[in-house]
Amino acid sequence: MRPPQTALLLIGSPKPGASSSESLGAYLLEDLEKRGLKTQTLKVAQAVRTEEATQGLYAAVAVADLIVLSFPLYVDSLPGPAIRALELIAARRAAGSGATDASPGPAFVAICQSGFPDVDHSEVALEICREFARSAGFEWAGGLILAAGGMIGGQPLAKLRGMMRSAVRALDLSAEELAAGRPVPDEAVALMAKPAIPKIGYRFMANRGWRSQIKQQGEGASLEAQPYA
Amino acid sequence: MNSKDRSETQAFAPESRTALVLDGRAGADPTLALIHEALLGGLAAGGWAVDDWALRDDKIAWCAGCFKCWTKTPGECAHHDGGRQVAERWVRSDLVVMLTPVTFGGYSSELKKALDHVLPTLLPFMQKRDGETRHPQRYDRTRDLLVVGTVPAGETDGPAARTFRRLVERNTLNMQPPRWTAGVLESGANEWEVGVAITALLADVGVNAAQDTEDARRMEVLA
Repeated sequence: MRPPQTALLLIGSPKPGASSSESLGAYLLEDLEKRGLKTQTLKVAQAVRTEEATQGLYAAVAVADLIVLSFPLYVDSLPGPAIRALELIAARRAAGSGATDASPGPAFVAICQSGFPDVDHSEVALEICREFARSAGFEWAGGLILAAGGMIGGQPLAKLRGMMRSAVRALDLSAEELAAGRPVPDEAVALMAKPAIPKIGYRFMANRGWRSQIKQQGEGASLEAQPYA
Repeated sequence: MNSKDRSETQAFAPESRTALVLDGRAGADPTLALIHEALLGGLAAGGWAVDDWALRDDKIAWCAGCFKCWTKTPGECAHHDGGRQVAERWVRSDLVVMLTPVTFGGYSSELKKALDHVLPTLLPFMQKRDGETRHPQRYDRTRDLLVVGTVPAGETDGPAARTFRRLVERNTLNMQPPRWTAGVLESGANEWEVGVAITALLADVGVNAAQDTEDARRMEVLA
C-alpha cells in the first residue's frame, strides 16, 4: 500500500438524511483531509439510482487511492444498495475500464456499525467487504466494527467526543496509518470494538426508547402488533 | 367421495404448506435457472404450494432504515411498494428458499433488497440469547430456511463460499428457523448434479418428495 493522495468515502446507509455511518466515515475523512488528502463523499443509495449517478461513482472510484465504505449492518450483511454499488464497481473493474494496469489497486477500508451492542454480528459483513476488495482488485486495508451505533444517532462524532472517545481514538489512529500508506492498526480495531457503555445498560436504554416511541403513537398502539397473523 | 371418506382422507393429508422462493437472480444464469427448476419441481412433488418471487421483476425500494415498521406501523413497512409484501409473504410461509449468485461471499443485491425488508417480522426489543443480543420474533409461527448459492467452478470450498455459509448461519441465529440448510453449487453444474444437490437440500428441511408421493398414494386409496 502506498500513501494515498485521494480518498473517497462511500456512505452505505440508505437513509436520505444524516446517519451514524456517515458520522463515522466523515470523521475519518476529515482527519485524512487534515493530513493533506483530497477527499470526496458519495451516498451509495443515490449513486446507484440513475445511470448518470453511477457514472459519477465510477469516476470517483477511478481517481481514488483510498476508498472507505462506512455502512450500517442490515440482516448480518451490507444494505442492499451498498451491495449493488460493490457489484457495479467490481463489474466495471473486471471490464477493464476502471483498473489501473499493473500498478497496485487502490486501498479499501470498511467501517461497519450496528445497533447491536455486540461486535460479533458484524464480522461476516467485514468478510464480505474483504472478499469484494480481493475480487475487484483493491488492496484490503482493514476494517472497523462499532457496536451500539445507535448511540451516535447521526450526530457528528466531534459533538459526542466524551461518549465516543474510543471510536474517535480508533479513527484518529486509522487516519494516521492510512495516510502513511499502512493498513488500519490492530489497536484501532480493538478500540472501535470497545463498548461505549455496558451491554446490559445499552439494551435497557434501547428497550425503554422503543417503548417511549410507541407511547407517542397514543392509546391502542402496540409495538407487538401482528398485522399478518 | 362421501363425508366420511373426506374425513379419513384429511386425517392422512399432509398439512397445507407454502414455500416462499426468493429468486435473487439479476438476469440470465443457466445454473441458477436449473437450480430454480429443480427446487420448484421438488417442492411440487412434495405437495407444497409455492410462492415463487422473481425479485428482479418487482419494484422493491431499498429499505430506508427508518424503523417506522417498528414504531409508526408496527409489523408493516411504512412505504407502499413491493418491499411491503416481503414481511407478509415471509410470515405466511412455512419454508423460505433463497436463491442467489454468491456475491463477495454474500447475497446478490437483488436478493438483499428483499431480505432487508424482513425487519418488521422482528420486534424492536433487545434480548440476550446464547451470549449475544437479539431481537425477538414478532410471530409464533416459524419457517424453515433453505439457501442456495452459486460460485465459479472450483470455488465451492473457497473463501467466498465459506463466508456465504457463515452468513447463512448468522441469519439463522436471528431468524430462528426450526430447520435450515445451505448449499453452494458450482456455476456450470449439470442437471443431474443440480438435481442430486437440491434433493438433498430439500430433504434437510423436510421436503421429501418420495415420502410425500407415498402419502398421496395412500390418500388416493382411501378416497
